Amino acid sequence: MLKNIRQISDVEWELPIGSVPGMHVPGRFFLSEELFATLENGALTQLANIATLPGIVKYALAMPDIHWGYGFPIGGVGAFTVDEGIISPGGVGFDINCGVRLLTTPLTTADLGKKKDLIQALFNTVPTGVGTRAEKTVSQHDLDGIMEQGAGWVVEDGRGLPGDLDRCEDFGCMKEASIENVSEKARKRGLPQCGTLGSGNHFLEIQRVDTVYDETAAKAFGLAPDQICVMIHCGSRGLGHQVCTDHLRTLESATKRYQISLPDRQLTCAPITSPEGEAYFGAMAAAANYAWANRQIITHMTREIISGMFGVAYEEMPLVYDVTHNVAKREEHVTDGVRQELVVHRKGATRAFGPDTPGLPPGLNTIGQPVLIPGSMGTPSYVLKGTAGAMEKTFGSTCHGAGRVLSRSTAKKEGNGAKIRANLAKQGIYVKATSNMIIAEEAPEAYKSSSAVVDVVHRAGIAEKVARIRPVGVIKG
Amino acid sequence: MPYTELDHTADVLVRVTAGSLEELFEESARAMFETMYGENTALTEEQDVTVSADTKDELLCAFLSEFLYLSEVDGMVFGNVTVTLHENICSATVRGTPFIREKHAGGTEIKGVSYSGLTIREVNNHVEVDILFDV
Repeated sequence: MLKNIRQISDVEWELPIGSVPGMHVPGRFFLSEELFATLENGALTQLANIATLPGIVKYALAMPDIHWGYGFPIGGVGAFTVDEGIISPGGVGFDINCGVRLLTTPLTTADLGKKKDLIQALFNTVPTGVGTRAEKTVSQHDLDGIMEQGAGWVVEDGRGLPGDLDRCEDFGCMKEASIENVSEKARKRGLPQCGTLGSGNHFLEIQRVDTVYDETAAKAFGLAPDQICVMIHCGSRGLGHQVCTDHLRTLESATKRYQISLPDRQLTCAPITSPEGEAYFGAMAAAANYAWANRQIITHMTREIISGMFGVAYEEMPLVYDVTHNVAKREEHVTDGVRQELVVHRKGATRAFGPDTPGLPPGLNTIGQPVLIPGSMGTPSYVLKGTAGAMEKTFGSTCHGAGRVLSRSTAKKEGNGAKIRANLAKQGIYVKATSNMIIAEEAPEAYKSSSAVVDVVHRAGIAEKVARIRPVGVIKG
Repeated sequence: MPYTELDHTADVLVRVTAGSLEELFEESARAMFETMYGENTALTEEQDVTVSADTKDELLCAFLSEFLYLSEVDGMVFGNVTVTLHENICSATVRGTPFIREKHAGGTEIKGVSYSGLTIREVNNHVEVDILFDV
């Protein structure tokens, strides 16, 4: 596969049509020389596979955190016309609306004397880890509201600030949600989990703004040097996982019935306008709303703890933004001079709308959308802004994180959780996790460098650096 | 027969080999349970499960997915399962123990069982399948 590729520009590469049979369009991916070392052949095959799907527009895309997943590669983006295109859960992932949000505080590093107490309090309060449940199981009626209104339901319930929704992708709610397409099983899993962090690479991090690259944008976003922030990374929990599982089954039969031939079964799909396609999209949107509500509840818990511990007013902790990196969206994009509605799948990729794009938060129209790129445990995260370049090249998309280089089993064999925790503590990063095994799996060495990945999107012009934030405390499940 | 874990950077990929299809289903489930919680020999409870699908591959995927659902809603940590297959229906008895936060919250959460590459094949006298768990 690698011998077919041709270089388009500094960090932009093309996989030509014919790299795998049946491609309708080429593949395009963004990568630096350094990151080529960790590129798996399987990941490029998965990129090429996206290009075989009906109704795909322009090219199949992969961001610099590309790696081998299932269906789409992680870091994959594919946009499809509504009339002829498909929708596929393989282009979204099991964790629908896995995403990340960032909130600021008026505290600086100097104010954070009780850092360990704060981390412990967060760990005790925010349910973290596999199998954990929220303090309160919501009612079926509340779950309806959560799936229909997303973060807005939680804010209406008194657990948020009015400005929170403005600073959330899609204002915290996809209106296309159809809760009747969410199964009883998915609901049963969702009832006790709203307001839980989950596990794996999910986390809640206390961070400080370490470097500001773009002062104007940083100010508009609400960021300042040495400011203490909180980053929350989690998704739609068991409800989302079940929605994906359920609809993969229905779509498997649909793929056969619509005679769509697939290079990989995980690309199981249906025409967007088919009953099966619409059912999945509606259920996916409901799950996405659940994830936004989930992150809003955790935000509330965090604000209450910080307020109680440091005497900070609730209102003094506004949101910078909330982004999703596993979703399919109906968006308008201009391709070859023609504006049309497309269904954009982002699987391990983040929306990065440029200035003057509809849907931006009030006051950020000249700046562009805030983009949050979490680092792995112990490594820097980044805040970027969306660009006109992203609108032109990637359907307004950019990377989502760092991407793994070591498998979990290798990381567990080679790493010692206790030692890694001690090393991070020496660097001023206090980690609280449900087990040492989790720490070993999530070790910094197991991931690509977030800096290297962010550097590529900046050079490609598909998002531009605004600030770098470093962790000072982490909770993980 | 043991399953083996193959290298996969993002997720968990296991290769399961067995002497019969039923054994393959049982071993696949064991591989999944051990991925989630490690080996569990405390088997204090059991429940019956029935799953059906159009093909054997889909049946295996549906069978494993059912345990992800049950372990969450019933709060159970499963250890092993006994399987009977009849055409495209799988009847099983699964054994486990209730989830205890202090003991089990450090486990690995499986978000889903991927269809990618899940093709049951015959190799020599055995049946074999590669299963990808999204973690």
